[in-house]
Amino acid sequence: MKRALQVLNELECGGVIERYAIGGAMGATFYVEPLLTFDLDVFVVFPQSAGNLLSLSPLYEALRARGYVEEGECVLVEDIPVQFLPVYNALLEEALREARETLYEEVPTRVVRAEHLLAICLQTGRDKDRERVRIFREQAELDMGYLAGVLQRHGLEGKWKQWTP
Amino acid sequence: MDTVNPEIARLFAAKEARRHKLAALPFPEKVRAVVCLQEMAAPVLRARGRKVRVWTLDERAA
Repeated sequence: MKRALQVLNELECGGVIERYAIGGAMGATFYVEPLLTFDLDVFVVFPQSAGNLLSLSPLYEALRARGYVEEGECVLVEDIPVQFLPVYNALLEEALREARETLYEEVPTRVVRAEHLLAICLQTGRDKDRERVRIFREQAELDMGYLAGVLQRHGLEGKWKQWTP
Repeated sequence: MDTVNPEIARLFAAKEARRHKLAALPFPEKVRAVVCLQEMAAPVLRARGRKVRVWTLDERAA
């Protein structure tokens, strides 16, 4: 994990990606009890000069050059299956921009804020997202004022009310 | 209306307290716990035909 995060930092320093942050179940685990997952979900923003913003090809090529192979929808980075998810909407752009800086065993990294992870669950809307929202509400220290702003900006207040009667 | 047996209520409260305690662990410890969960779940998932990989953590032995 430590080495995989170092590789992500190297990709960012080298300009292959502009910015990254951990999301998904591992991002959630940062704030709540450990959740079972087999993938490390990483949201990425590409440099503007990359042309097609949603293309993962330059990233995959850079990883291949370092000897990391694709496995299904992931790339195996230092034995960790990493799923790279390009940001595709305003909520994810904001989540990346405002992600929390932290250290993992002295390695700097970034994790999407709990409020954004919760909003992403609301937007995605699967059964497992509903369960995750429940866990966030029960265990995470949420900034309710900040969350209200996120929900309002991204039109998720109705879904929030629907999911949290 | 049904009432919860006090002993059951105590067990539920203890479970909730444990979840909060786990939530408060440092991130690297939580990652190690996730790998333990992977080790427990992998045989079951593989028996169901799902291809899963348990992570190898260099830092796990630390």
